[in-house]
Amino acid sequence: MPNASSGTPSGRPTTARVARFAGLLALVAVVLLFPSLAPDPFVLSVGVVILSYAVLATSWNLVGGFTGYISLGHAAYSGLGGYATALLVLRTGLDPWLALVAGGLIVAVIAVPVGVASLRVRGASFVIVSIALVLILQLTFQSWHTFTGGSGGLRVPRPFGPEVLRPEQHERFFYLHAVLLALALLTWWVIERSRLGAGLKAIREDEDKAQALGVPTFAYKLTALVVSAFFTALGGGLYALWFGYLDPIFQFSILVGTYMVLMALLGGVRSLFGPLLGAVVVGYAVEVFKSQYGDTQFHLVATGILLGLVVLFMPDGVIPALTSLVHRRRRAASIREVSAAELAEQRDGRQRDGRQRDGRQRDGRQRDGRQREETAR
Amino acid sequence: MTGALFAQSLVLGILLGGLYALLAAGLTLYFGVMRVVMIAHSAFLILAAYLAWYFHERSGLDPLLSLVITVPLFFVIGYGMQRFLVSRLRPISLTTMSVLLTFAVALTIEGLLGFVWTGTQRRVQLPYSGTSIEVAGVSVAVVKLIAFALAAVSLAALYLILRKTSFGRALRATTQHPEAARLIGIDTDRVAGLGFGLGLATAAIGGTALALDYTIYPSLHWHWIGPLMAIIVVGGLGSIPGAAIAALLLGVAASLLQVPLGTTWAQTVFYLALFVTLMIRPQGFFGGRLAQRF
Amino acid sequence: MSALSTQELTKSFGGVRAVDGASVTFQEGKINALIGPNGSGKTTFFNCVTGMIRPDAGTVTYQDRDVTGLAPHRIARSGIGRSFQLCRVFPRLTVLENVLVAVQPHGLLERLRGMRNPRDVARARDLLARVGIDHLEHAEARDISYGQQKLLELAGVLMGDPRTIMLDEPAGGVNPALVDRIADLVRELNAEGRTFVVVEHNMELVMGLSDHVVVFDRGRPIAQGTPAVVQDDPLVLEAYLGV
Repeated sequence: MPNASSGTPSGRPTTARVARFAGLLALVAVVLLFPSLAPDPFVLSVGVVILSYAVLATSWNLVGGFTGYISLGHAAYSGLGGYATALLVLRTGLDPWLALVAGGLIVAVIAVPVGVASLRVRGASFVIVSIALVLILQLTFQSWHTFTGGSGGLRVPRPFGPEVLRPEQHERFFYLHAVLLALALLTWWVIERSRLGAGLKAIREDEDKAQALGVPTFAYKLTALVVSAFFTALGGGLYALWFGYLDPIFQFSILVGTYMVLMALLGGVRSLFGPLLGAVVVGYAVEVFKSQYGDTQFHLVATGILLGLVVLFMPDGVIPALTSLVHRRRRAASIREVSAAELAEQRDGRQRDGRQRDGRQRDGRQRDGRQREETAR
Repeated sequence: MTGALFAQSLVLGILLGGLYALLAAGLTLYFGVMRVVMIAHSAFLILAAYLAWYFHERSGLDPLLSLVITVPLFFVIGYGMQRFLVSRLRPISLTTMSVLLTFAVALTIEGLLGFVWTGTQRRVQLPYSGTSIEVAGVSVAVVKLIAFALAAVSLAALYLILRKTSFGRALRATTQHPEAARLIGIDTDRVAGLGFGLGLATAAIGGTALALDYTIYPSLHWHWIGPLMAIIVVGGLGSIPGAAIAALLLGVAASLLQVPLGTTWAQTVFYLALFVTLMIRPQGFFGGRLAQRF
Repeated sequence: MSALSTQELTKSFGGVRAVDGASVTFQEGKINALIGPNGSGKTTFFNCVTGMIRPDAGTVTYQDRDVTGLAPHRIARSGIGRSFQLCRVFPRLTVLENVLVAVQPHGLLERLRGMRNPRDVARARDLLARVGIDHLEHAEARDISYGQQKLLELAGVLMGDPRTIMLDEPAGGVNPALVDRIADLVRELNAEGRTFVVVEHNMELVMGLSDHVVVFDRGRPIAQGTPAVVQDDPLVLEAYLGV
């Protein structure tokens, strides 16, 4: 799978480039041909669902992957996008496609005060706010009958007239989702190679250090969040137009938000197609599971365990885990000084094992209290 | 609002706030010792509630007796979680990864609860479930008083542990400055593990108290984690006294607002407080010098 | 042009007065050293000046501007670069990317432009060559040695073209050969007109390298002057040795 995160060093053979290009072409071909190849409308609808997940996961990755700030309640934005689109169509009679874009913009605006509240400090506050946001939205949208239809749900009028049959609808929305995905991927790609992207990645690696080098961290983080919210809202809105029905429990679902994170993590947050890969794998598994066993609680257990395993053993995603396995075999043994990570581990190990009661470290120096230096947290 | 209704809401708010205080104390404790946002705390709460209910169902004994089993059990689980799961995470991305990990644990617990006991709502029925007593001229359900008493006693015990024991001192030192604590000979890993165990033990108590008065179902923990997280932020991340004060204030506020706004909208006061705190004073209002900007 | 200076800078943590009314003037165009026993507040002072910590009272002045409490990135953009006590690099970015991050673009359009534009890359490569790690260009920063990371950090700081460079224990944890190399680099850069403020424990390095030494004890400067003068100051001896 093409990996855009590290750029092409001058020494790389062009065969890798050709392979990446070929892979990209193959991907495009698969997407274009899928509707014709799908054996029945149900499979096609599964394809739409997977593409929708891919859009959401890639959009999530615009903030999660770049800044390292994990949004666990990202379904807030897709849910808001769905409701915004639906309500604009229902209440103002706006054209569905315009409503979709307008809905996205409205959600992007809403993301600004959310970002101001949650991004001024570090990751812990951001996570807390993201969860709180989706919870409170679920609460309010369930209660606000008059405006949102409450827990009874909201019917979304279909943009294509009733004369368009279901399989045809699936096909059209399949391509529409593919276009949206392409836009999201393009945005990710542009940001990734830009200076904004460089700053964002620096924030992810070491926010204090990024600030010390002149990166305006707050402004950058906010930008990433707003762009991510915009695309996530578009994803939610498009899905709403296809699905035709909104229910606050499912629109503002923690589980959907978890899927987004899991898919991006599994596929690899630092690569362009990582979330797409994760969406295909997890989305397919989820749909297969649903058709075999129905909507059971086991979903939660499986998702939870899978997420836990990924976090513990493959935090960089499947692709990097595999590539590092390959690299480790290829890299020739070289004499090099101990790396900083190993040095830190050694130091911690020595501190733990060889505690000196007089407060001095083994190298004879006493360490005064460090403030933010010892971050890493 | 009439005077009687106000008094009623006030008393209920204090009782609720007391319970929140215990629950939030545990949540902020994990953050203090390890800078971990332990989202699974409320899931463990509900687990404890289920265990209390199940204990009562099977044995016919008062669910409070289940504490004898659940408190040590949860303590051990907490210790194990910290030692075998959380400590495995790379320090570089500890905060984000620990969030994801504990989130995964929360989901798994919820799923298992639904799997074992289905989604049917459960309620503990006790002989004294419906009775009320007169307190300060206000009629209060006995179960609420018991829950409050349980919370108060536990918080007092927690206070004593933290202030009077050497473990408590080590815990506070680790919270304030892990590096310095290590330098004076404190085994911060063990302290963190024990701290986690302590936090989860409070979840056992809190969950049991919850079971006395609330209808429980697997996804109930989402209903609690929001307000609890808001409370610890308002109180100042890592500060137990801060969490307790914020819990009482917000509990009373939510209770008072229930009358004009209804239960659902009254809950929003927690989220509003969260938002305001992060805008105005991100390190929290009541945490004193300890509270950090995270 | 005025130097970096502080006036009555104060910062407390709880009951501890880490920095206690510190008024220091660093000499422009010189290599200034900031020394003092452990717990004297040097690092807190350092962090207050560079914007990592907000002081409780007092001011920091740079080039006649009050920069007290400015966000770290604004301090960096006003021409003050800094390194960290425990060398900090961006672990999963390559060596080249580490340096490229420090480019300081202005405006939205510039920020959307590619980070690998030839001019920046050429400058970055030059800096890497200058510190001697250009051959590691494509290695991930977490894979290179600690000493090489120190050099990388320096290259990143230089990318912002700072007039004033603050180094926090540049010789910490590195072998003597590398210490000499860093010292040479500092002298070279100083000769180009850059001001240095170096916090250090390595006395040999400090005395041999610096033009002006400030000694800290208990949160405030107790002696300032040339290395020779400071070395013989009884107050300094008392602070260090408790004599």
